[in-house]
Amino acid sequence: MQPGFSILCFQASADLPFLVFYQRKGVMHAAASLLNSSNLSLRFASQTQTRLSPWIAAPSSVRLPLNRSQNYRIALPPLHSTVSGDSTQPQQMASADVKAQDPRIAGISSAIRVIPDFPKPGIMFQDITTLLLDTKAFRDTIDLFVERYKDKNISVVAGIEARGFIFGPPIALAIGAKFVPMRKPKKLPGEVISEEYSLEYGKDVMEMHVGAVQAGERALIVDDLVATGGTLSAAIRLLERVGVHVVECACVIELPELKGRERLGEKPLFVLVS
Amino acid sequence: MFAAENGLRGDPRLQGISKAIRVVPDFPIPGIMFQDITTLLLDHKAFKDTVDIFVDRYRDMGISVVAANVNVGIEARGFVFGPSIALAIGAKFVPLRKPNKLPGEVISEAYVLEYGTDRLEMHVGAIEPGERALVIDDLVATGGTLSAAVRLLERMGAEVVECACVVGLPEGQRRLDGKPLYILVEPRLSVNY
Repeated sequence: MQPGFSILCFQASADLPFLVFYQRKGVMHAAASLLNSSNLSLRFASQTQTRLSPWIAAPSSVRLPLNRSQNYRIALPPLHSTVSGDSTQPQQMASADVKAQDPRIAGISSAIRVIPDFPKPGIMFQDITTLLLDTKAFRDTIDLFVERYKDKNISVVAGIEARGFIFGPPIALAIGAKFVPMRKPKKLPGEVISEEYSLEYGKDVMEMHVGAVQAGERALIVDDLVATGGTLSAAIRLLERVGVHVVECACVIELPELKGRERLGEKPLFVLVS
Repeated sequence: MFAAENGLRGDPRLQGISKAIRVVPDFPIPGIMFQDITTLLLDHKAFKDTVDIFVDRYRDMGISVVAANVNVGIEARGFVFGPSIALAIGAKFVPLRKPNKLPGEVISEAYVLEYGTDRLEMHVGAIEPGERALVIDDLVATGGTLSAAVRLLERMGAEVVECACVVGLPEGQRRLDGKPLYILVEPRLSVNY
């Protein structure tokens, strides 16, 4: 065990395995971020220097192979798919008819690999490439989105570069919509409209082809993950500028501590795993 | 080999696919007639037909891996077709990316550009030896990136059954060392939008 590496272990309830948090260089990391689930009652179980579970993420000097016993999100208490933006609903709960946890969510969550300190120290990177290797979990991911959107008269699925291009097209194909890529500057060959947005440090620009969408169309925006909500907000603005109605934003993963949901304000956000 | 010469002669879907691709002259540099597949993605029928043709061809070939290049110069276009094909044939999808994009342990392969070289990376452990793989891209030109993809997969012990592209010239086959290349349509040479 590396110096300065201490582990707190919480037992969420009698019949659940341990949730593991580890502290490294004075910063608490969660091997699974489940604190926002209102169904958990956390009891502090023990503090120890020994490795208690295979889910502890290794220190950043080790780049692990794709080993399913390590570095995966813990698919423990069902992670509720959450929707916001509807002021008549309580903040975190989905609408009444999806209150029960869909049994497919656990498999999706556990197929996502977490890589610490990528691309830089302190960041727990949510790696969806392992989800794409799990044919059932990938299919379930697309099915969950398709079931939600197929009867909502959506004619446009906009996907954000680059990982939004993995989930967006299958959804678009299944619901009969166009797929529109939202890209970094200078990649789209035709005439574009651009939207600037803020990053943690500095700015970036998102582009869409002129003529890809028509005023009055109903759109869904898809990305793999929502963090601060900056790129989703830029995509919303781009589409709304040309008269498109953005029905909802859909992501596989949400990092709630980065408050992307709040940044989207009234625009609904649907996620599978948070 | 072109789809039209391989069982799909006269298939009206191919014409629809070809017409849906927009030609943008002088992009990214003067002299290039860029084959823009984003307009294909706006045409739901043509997009679906593209995926269906690939799925029909590959679903009974025992393919367990679909790999796509996301490293063709300015593009992330290989992402757009690969996952849908993978889902439909029950295969894994493996992205092949520029350096430093994949977060886990990777293996990498260099390939030659017109000026200089670049590298293509794949996650270690994504595929197992003996798996049968398909490499998909939207466009093949010189075949440089496709051949790098083939080498990457073969280094991990996969058997690359075929390479497939939406648009391409038969010349793209030359650098594939005998690996079959299946192409839906030829590039369009005149502006059509």
